[in-house]
Amino acid sequence: MIAILQTKFRLLLKKPLMFIGMTGMGLLFAFFLGMGQYSKMMVPVFSNIENLEKTEIWEQLQESESIAFYIVSEKEAKRAVSEGKVEAAVSLSEDSYEIFVVSGTPNVQFIQHYIHSIYSDILLKENIRKEWKNDEDGAEALINQLEQVRENPLFQIQTGTFQMENSFVYDNRLQSLFGMSLFFVIYTIAFNVVHILQEKTEKVWDRMILSPLRKWEMYTGNLLYSFLIGYVQVVLIFTVFKYLTGVNFYGGFGKTLLLLIPYVFAIIALSMFIVSVVKNIQQYNAIIPFISVSMAMLGGAYWPLEIVSSPILLTLSKFVPITYGMESLKGATVYGASLNELIEPVSILILMGVLFISLGIGLIERRSE
Amino acid sequence: MLLDVVNLSKRFKHVQAVKEVNMHIQQGEIIGLLGPNGAGKSTTISMISTLLKPTGGDVYFNGKSIIKDPKSIRRKLGVVPQEIALYLDLTAEENLQFFGKINGIKGKKLKSRIEEVLEWIGLAERRKDVVKKFSGGMKRRLNIGVALLHEPEIIIMDEPTVGIDPQSRNYILETVRRLNQQKGMTVLYTSHYMEEVEYLCDRIYIMDQGEVIASGTNEELKDILSSEQTITIQVERLHKSFIDALIADSALKKVDNRDKTVTVIAPKKYPFFKKITGYAEQTETSLVSVEVKAPTLEDVFLHLTGRALRD
Repeated sequence: MIAILQTKFRLLLKKPLMFIGMTGMGLLFAFFLGMGQYSKMMVPVFSNIENLEKTEIWEQLQESESIAFYIVSEKEAKRAVSEGKVEAAVSLSEDSYEIFVVSGTPNVQFIQHYIHSIYSDILLKENIRKEWKNDEDGAEALINQLEQVRENPLFQIQTGTFQMENSFVYDNRLQSLFGMSLFFVIYTIAFNVVHILQEKTEKVWDRMILSPLRKWEMYTGNLLYSFLIGYVQVVLIFTVFKYLTGVNFYGGFGKTLLLLIPYVFAIIALSMFIVSVVKNIQQYNAIIPFISVSMAMLGGAYWPLEIVSSPILLTLSKFVPITYGMESLKGATVYGASLNELIEPVSILILMGVLFISLGIGLIERRSE
Repeated sequence: MLLDVVNLSKRFKHVQAVKEVNMHIQQGEIIGLLGPNGAGKSTTISMISTLLKPTGGDVYFNGKSIIKDPKSIRRKLGVVPQEIALYLDLTAEENLQFFGKINGIKGKKLKSRIEEVLEWIGLAERRKDVVKKFSGGMKRRLNIGVALLHEPEIIIMDEPTVGIDPQSRNYILETVRRLNQQKGMTVLYTSHYMEEVEYLCDRIYIMDQGEVIASGTNEELKDILSSEQTITIQVERLHKSFIDALIADSALKKVDNRDKTVTVIAPKKYPFFKKITGYAEQTETSLVSVEVKAPTLEDVFLHLTGRALRD
């Protein structure tokens, strides 16, 4: 078995392009798709308020670090929403606002919350002025004092949320990082597991059968290599993002490295199963992109499953390893779950792995006879 | 007897690939297994090599059933598959190292075996070259070399010269002969090239459609045709009527035509010159030459099956 591993790594050193390519693709896609959090969300605004740019509402809207409000006509704003170019548009009046959306997303809630807080603030100031109408200076002094207190609070108060069981926390950078890593590693693993089929076709496998090597050593040598190479790829991507770009793993970096193990195992097992049912390498090469892209779509690698509402798609996602990979990785990071709490997705991945690998090896052996 | 093949059969769903093949190989012999593509040679040797389970019969190595205990023969077998069963991205030496290691050869022993094998197959100078840069003949030589690493008692070669140039082919044939003469290695050699089998083998088994249809030494097989002669006729242009006339002649046993050459098997006393020139005249066929050849294994196969080996 050691000889098999040595030879596989020797072959990798001679032909490292596939590994480098898939790791690079994972890094690039995760980086560019995760950039959304750095750039501001664009939100068109239209209003019946004259000289909107000079109002306090506009001033406060411009202070947002994550939303860029810009003024357009009502027609343009509505068109941008209907064409999906922006997530929401806002109509501003003196004492009320309206938000136009096509579908409710977490960002829409965020926009609403932000505008609501601005209107509340302005209303508070107006009320102070109304109550102190006889003492304008006093009113302004109070407002200034209020603002100063807000800017320099006596106590630094940090706020957190108690998450409801089904609440959705969305971290775009981690979503992209986990999704793209789990997606691209399928290719790396699948195109390594297929070496078993290739060696069978080229009769290298027969030479191994005729040697004193045992069958389990032949399978383990090949699959262990695929496991190591797949695991190293994802660990490498996670490490780059954690230490070079400073992605926040919410203190769960170590846990994510552990949780990758059952996922990589399940993908190896699935590849093995596919190897056992295809007729030849060409068929395998054609089927893998189809399966990996479908799995990534269903399993929430491209977008969070939480925004999927179709019961059919959600049911299908239950049969896809990526679903449980994403669930466990996000659980360990954004949801702050302990390893014990993630026992369910981990168990399903292990079960899938055992099932697929048994079926795969069984079918391959049966076909050889 | 080193190897006894008894009523060996293999059935794949609806196809009877091998039908009750019997074969006996003595220590130090070179045995040829001759037959056209699809005759069942590869399936037979896969079963003898323990790679494929027979559906009937058995194979005995030194009296022990290899079906009951396949591992006992594997150490003593060297198998050269028809495919280039090598890692093409590794060098010749790296390939030998890998296959040596999985065969349990280590350290100095492995080094010396690699040296010896590279000398045998004439690739000592190219040991550091990546296999994919080798010519077809060199790849085939390394394919044989890998099977020799663990010093097997018997080497089974499945069409080891397919698709290579004549020079490489001669090199391989000479290597096989030297292995037999100098190392006393027993060889089971399959081929559809009758001249290779004729040149190398002490005894020959001819297979067709899954069955052994004849066996014996080269001479014994050719004696099948002792009462007959093979006549090769060259014509300027082949007319169907000429072939029809030959087929209609009940004295002629087999008529095989290819391009402008017609081969017929006729009884020794057949007045071939008079008859053939007569048919040519009747059908307005211009003869180029008429030749009576010493029988070859090709003729034997033609006689036995009515088809040429290359069909």
